[in-house]
Amino acid sequence: MANLNIDTVKDRTYDAIVIGSGISGGWSAKELCEKGLKTLVLERGRDVQHVKDYPTTNMYPWEFEHRNELPYKIKKENPIVNRCYAFHEDAAHFFVKDNEHPYVQEKPFDWIRGYQVGGKSLLWARQTQRWSDFDFDGPARDGFAVDWPIRYADLKPWYDYVERFAGIAGDRDGLPELPDGEFLPGYPLNVVEKYFKQKIESVYPSRKVISARCAHLSKPNQIHLDQGRVQCQNRTLCQRGCPFGGYFSSNSSTLPWAAKTGNLTLRPDSVVHSILYDDDKGKAIGVKVIDRNTKEEIDFYAKVIFVNAAALNTNLILLNSKSQRFPEGLGNDSGTLGKYVGFHNYSARIYGEYEGLLEYKTDGRNPAGGGYIPRFRNLHRQETDFLRGYAAGFGAWRMSNSDQSGLGLNLKDSLLNPTWGNWGVGSHMMGETIPKESNYVTLDADKKDDWGIPQLKIAIDYDDNDAKMKKDYLDTMEEMFITAGFTNIQRNESSQAPGLDIHEMGGVRMGLDPKTSMLNKWNQLHAVPNVFVTDGAAMTSTSTQNPSLTYMAFSARSVDYMVQEIKKGNLV
Amino acid sequence: MNRRTAIRQLFVVAGGIIIASSCSSDVGGSSIQLNTIRLTAKDEALLADLVEAIIPSSDSPGAKELNLHLFVMKMVDDCSDPEEQEQFIAGLKSAKKLEGKSTDEILAYLEELPKDDVFLHLLKRRTIQGYMNSEYVMKNKLVYELIPGRYNGAVKIEA
Repeated sequence: MANLNIDTVKDRTYDAIVIGSGISGGWSAKELCEKGLKTLVLERGRDVQHVKDYPTTNMYPWEFEHRNELPYKIKKENPIVNRCYAFHEDAAHFFVKDNEHPYVQEKPFDWIRGYQVGGKSLLWARQTQRWSDFDFDGPARDGFAVDWPIRYADLKPWYDYVERFAGIAGDRDGLPELPDGEFLPGYPLNVVEKYFKQKIESVYPSRKVISARCAHLSKPNQIHLDQGRVQCQNRTLCQRGCPFGGYFSSNSSTLPWAAKTGNLTLRPDSVVHSILYDDDKGKAIGVKVIDRNTKEEIDFYAKVIFVNAAALNTNLILLNSKSQRFPEGLGNDSGTLGKYVGFHNYSARIYGEYEGLLEYKTDGRNPAGGGYIPRFRNLHRQETDFLRGYAAGFGAWRMSNSDQSGLGLNLKDSLLNPTWGNWGVGSHMMGETIPKESNYVTLDADKKDDWGIPQLKIAIDYDDNDAKMKKDYLDTMEEMFITAGFTNIQRNESSQAPGLDIHEMGGVRMGLDPKTSMLNKWNQLHAVPNVFVTDGAAMTSTSTQNPSLTYMAFSARSVDYMVQEIKKGNLV
Repeated sequence: MNRRTAIRQLFVVAGGIIIASSCSSDVGGSSIQLNTIRLTAKDEALLADLVEAIIPSSDSPGAKELNLHLFVMKMVDDCSDPEEQEQFIAGLKSAKKLEGKSTDEILAYLEELPKDDVFLHLLKRRTIQGYMNSEYVMKNKLVYELIPGRYNGAVKIEA
């Protein structure tokens, strides 16, 4: 009779382990599986299968018990996640609730998380602007953080590569600060967004307004159809999960693609406790997992480990991976682990109205969301009393009104016959922040989560540079709105805590010097070459652009490098 | 709701609200299950008349036919904070004298309430919300498209 003991080390050994199944983990998994490596993907949350597990995706507004509002009790119990713009009745099941996974806020930080297969790739805002050398040159030029060990040329072929597969809609705008890519047709600016573009570009030649680039299949290619995805249907209900696969997510794209190779093992409900480091072998040998439901402790083994747990959780795992060699966290010879965390300053908006072009309206819905203004401040040289700058969103929508002051038949008639109002216009800032040693995460000395893992303690705050930049954004955008003839202009300064931008980055930064950084130019731990970090934790600086596309490119690039290293006989 | 009625009841889905057809109307409770506030069958009947006065039937259904009184009850029960709930209940109590009155009398009463009256504000806001998001309006009047399949950023408005 065969040995029935299946729980042997051999059965828990893979070629590669990927921690996390979100936007970067999905890419690591796809690339590893395609290159023939038996790959275990560990996801701490529950399984979410494409289409099947999108319970609200085809619901009409009237089918929601509270018409997409969340009950008072849920809001009250979840003050943090309730501040997220997408936390409503239709998608609340994809967000971590405050009391499920507590953390320690040394300073206020809204940590927005999605613990399930696919992670936040189900929920993201799908904006995909490339970074450029104006971003990668930043720290060296302006003297902060450390120099990036790569430049745009290193990443360009990988942007091309991931864009072709993911499907990115965009126009070719020819802007060096926001390089063009392998685009599907872009979504059009509407008539007022176009007007604003023409006005601004004629008055301020260095400022551009373009159609925002986004991960939507405006016109799918064969590679997208092969993934089982079809053209985006302009529903803009993306946070529910898309039955058409109209936008890119791990669930609709990379994970099923990885599964088709036969090399993927996906294990949901697997909370990673730490990475196992063998002091004798001098390398990482696997991952310690606590089963989410049974709390059983299980070790898995692999030659290489990709850490894609999302920026702050990647920090947590490395900090909690202690060994004789690395008492302060895996690969932390530099003492920089958990430090130099950055984010995006989203704390200012501006609104107005436009009383022109009233003979027009829009029809249907725009998945791109409208216009994007790439960074122009301090772009070519330092010109203000703050470092770096901001990108901005810009959108216009035709307002419609109905007089709701009456009661009875008048009210009913007014509700059913809305009249056109002015155009509404709005913009929000996306400011680069400076990663600093004083913006950090650590493990709390006492508090643990339900799986016995130390809670993350977060100490991240705005600084004077952010305040100056915010004022400049509001002043500058107000001036641009006035230039465009917009009226009823309202500056909106929010006091939102860092984190709500959901663009936290850093803590495991890349750099040339192992004394001042964690990762080399291949996203490989300087001190533990068989561990790669290719999510937001790796970012040396934050740029102004939405970062997910860059994580995807880093993931694909690192896997390619890693496989070449294995072929050379390294990393074994 | 006791176990016996829970087992017996038949469910009808109306605008996402489950109405128990035989649920405790014999003991004077509301026809939908409420979690935090208590309303009687009489309260419910009065609310039906109030919402109908706000959005009456004409050549198209009014608020009562669209069960918007149940929607208002549901939203006050689940989505209002305790203070708002209290003010709503108090406002409803004051409106008791409207039981059995005509629509004109109800309208006159509502129109004389102060502009900042919480009960009126809440009642009206939820009635309008329920109406605009009702299956009837979204299918027949101001049509909601689940799957537009298009975006055009410059469409001339026909005069």
